[in-house]
Amino acid sequence: MSVKVEASHGGIPHGKIAAAGIIIALVSLYIAVIGHEVLGFDYFAFFGGIAAIGALIWGNSAIKRLCSYGIGAGVPSAGMLAFGSGLFGMFLGIAIGAMTSVWIIPVAVLVIALITGVILGWIANTVLNMKIPVMIQSLAELAAVGALTTLGLRTVAIGGLELEAGFVFVAVGFIAVAFMLGAIALQHPFNACLGPGETQDRTNMLVIECGFLSMIIMAVISFVAVSAVAGWISLVIAIIGWAVSYKKYIALSKRDAAAWLDAKPFVDAEEE
Amino acid sequence: MQEIIIGIGVTALAGALAAVAGAAEDTESNIGSQGDPNSQVQLAPQMGYTHRIYNKAVSGEPPAYTLWVTLACGVAWAFLMMGMNAILAIVLGTVLATIVQGVYATTAYLGRTASLSKFGQPVFTDVLKSVTTVTMGHAFVAIFTTVVICYLLATVIGHPFSLPLLGIVWGLALGAAGSATGNPYYGKERQYQNQKFGAGVPISASGNIVRYAEAGQRSSIDNGFFTAKFGGPASGLCFGLIVFFELWRTVLFEHYLAGWGAVIAGAVIIIIFMVIDRYVEKWARENYGPYTEA
Amino acid sequence: MSAIAAKAGADAGAFQPVPSIIALVLAIIVIAVGFVLGVGQTLCLIVLGAALIAFGVHFVPVGGAPAAMGQAPGIATGVPMLAAGAGLAGLFGGAWAAELGLAVALAGGAIGGALMMAITCLMVNMSYVFGMGIPPASGKIEKDPLTGYTQPEFKSQGTEGHGLPFISYVGGVIGGLLGGLGGTLIYLELLAFYEAVMPAADAVGLAGILAVAMFLVIAVLAAYNITGTIEGPHDPKFKRFPRAIIAAILASGLCGLLALLLVALV
Repeated sequence: MSVKVEASHGGIPHGKIAAAGIIIALVSLYIAVIGHEVLGFDYFAFFGGIAAIGALIWGNSAIKRLCSYGIGAGVPSAGMLAFGSGLFGMFLGIAIGAMTSVWIIPVAVLVIALITGVILGWIANTVLNMKIPVMIQSLAELAAVGALTTLGLRTVAIGGLELEAGFVFVAVGFIAVAFMLGAIALQHPFNACLGPGETQDRTNMLVIECGFLSMIIMAVISFVAVSAVAGWISLVIAIIGWAVSYKKYIALSKRDAAAWLDAKPFVDAEEE
Repeated sequence: MQEIIIGIGVTALAGALAAVAGAAEDTESNIGSQGDPNSQVQLAPQMGYTHRIYNKAVSGEPPAYTLWVTLACGVAWAFLMMGMNAILAIVLGTVLATIVQGVYATTAYLGRTASLSKFGQPVFTDVLKSVTTVTMGHAFVAIFTTVVICYLLATVIGHPFSLPLLGIVWGLALGAAGSATGNPYYGKERQYQNQKFGAGVPISASGNIVRYAEAGQRSSIDNGFFTAKFGGPASGLCFGLIVFFELWRTVLFEHYLAGWGAVIAGAVIIIIFMVIDRYVEKWARENYGPYTEA
Repeated sequence: MSAIAAKAGADAGAFQPVPSIIALVLAIIVIAVGFVLGVGQTLCLIVLGAALIAFGVHFVPVGGAPAAMGQAPGIATGVPMLAAGAGLAGLFGGAWAAELGLAVALAGGAIGGALMMAITCLMVNMSYVFGMGIPPASGKIEKDPLTGYTQPEFKSQGTEGHGLPFISYVGGVIGGLLGGLGGTLIYLELLAFYEAVMPAADAVGLAGILAVAMFLVIAVLAAYNITGTIEGPHDPKFKRFPRAIIAAILASGLCGLLALLLVALV
């Protein structure tokens, strides 16, 4: 039958991880804005990927907190809900940025997504009677994570945050790729590491690995919209980041595994 | 008239490709052990049954395949925009998606297995190496054929959606069809081969999956041999029929009755499938069971 | 979905009158804001589409992990994704027929979703009957209300039933029908709205991805309402659908307003 969702306790508290993730995400997005607006080049597109990773670290911690309550559907569905609701905030934030100033976009996206998430969380908790203490906060956080991650991956692909460049991204459907990459990258680390032996550093390393992996794909796609130099910068950074984090993740798995066997049979307790 | 003939050709080709995609998808997910039956692979060590089965807990099959197919579509479309030849672009997109699939598969296996350390479930690196490459091979077939379907729909038939958006639609449908049809055959028939044939697995037997092969200890590749005989083709038939009839009813009948022709044709097809289902259920009740006296 | 089909809340089945009324009032406020901004009619139709989706999800027979072992009836996959699979297949058909007028496109979307479910459900039964030698049987009812077949004696020992009895099959088809209809309605409304102010390719891309996003939000909320698995319209859990519809009305009103503001503001 069903397996109980178990996660490690202790470790770095959720608040600290959330704060770190949100700061990484916003600072990186603003560096990308500075690159595009002040310095006038798109070489800083890769900071969008860093922003996505920051947001994913935050989101992973939130999803772990939410799913340890048992929400009646799998971990992946929480990722889908996060990105589905976050997308509206992202688009509206960018539209508001187009009317006012591009500097507003990251904060506007964050705030609108948080509000969307709060309302969805309230609906789930009261109307649907789920009564999960962290539901409202978690869905708000997840919607914000969905919005910031999509925004970050979009920045990798088009080099900036403005509306004008973005419609190429929407019309040819690259937004769909960013959407799915983010949704799976958000739910995968906790879903893949859950179990009684889950450790926080290993799961977080997997978040970083998933983030860089998603960034590789967006960097490949980015050659359509950004300058070749910017595309190569993003691609090289993404590949190096992915390789390092993947290697570290394997090392951490080796540390946590019961045994690390190559071409050996399992030994059954009953057979001995 | 020529438009209809091209449409019929695309319909036939897309249906055939979809059948291949469905079969490859199901075999891939069974070799990697993905989706609902994987709950038993996860459960077995906790019940004291150590095993050498893969544990590809990326997510359910529908979201996972949505990502692989959308990703391949997006990358292929990017290469096409850069002026690359279509076939090369699709192949390169599929290769990238397959690599991503392989990476996700390994991290899922390592993550889930390492988290089961309390129950003494070891990580088998030979399983990691042999099974991952086999699932990647099947995934390549499934993704490539689905992307080609999407490409045909976007360019030849002229569906308004862009290629990656079609990737979301058909990737999700592929995963849904493959998991719906293929999962029970892997979950019940293969994992619980030791249980009675022609009956569901009693809940009390949960976790006691078969861990030995014809010779030696079973790895997930042995599950692929088995499900490729029924679950794979059945899933292929399912996805193939979905794609074929979805296109066929529109291509042939859209021009009648100001578009209502396609709707009526679809409704008739649905009723025919309902009748077949009634027949199957009736046949099953007459030939199997009842298990207990009413 | 995956290994974690977790437990539901203690009394998750009860209808919540007070929050429901608050939610409806909020939804009316959201829609009123929509009318003030001049997008009221579009918003109303989007909300209607979302309500149809939420209702439709409750028809789809989903058994989750136990169904994959023949321990419970239904389709062996997750609720939100199966519903989304059918709904998006419908959306595909509806978007294709968009130029033929609203009625044809909506009907095309509905039939597209229903066709996907009709084929999938048939293949599920084929797999159980011809692959594993198991007849369909429901665990929740004594008699199939459509065929009159008695169920308990065809339930194998130690299970809650297996496969898709005809009532579940019909439920699946209706679920696909409503999902395809609702998804297509949302897409067409957004498309018509965006097409007025931006190039066609942008409008299709934006409307398409937002329709997909909204579909996923509503389907996941409805799945939370179902808490994992449902057998179809005869399942006692089916009676929970009013809550999901209210939830969908508010959620889609909010998301729809954001999606429409996108253009109303620019």
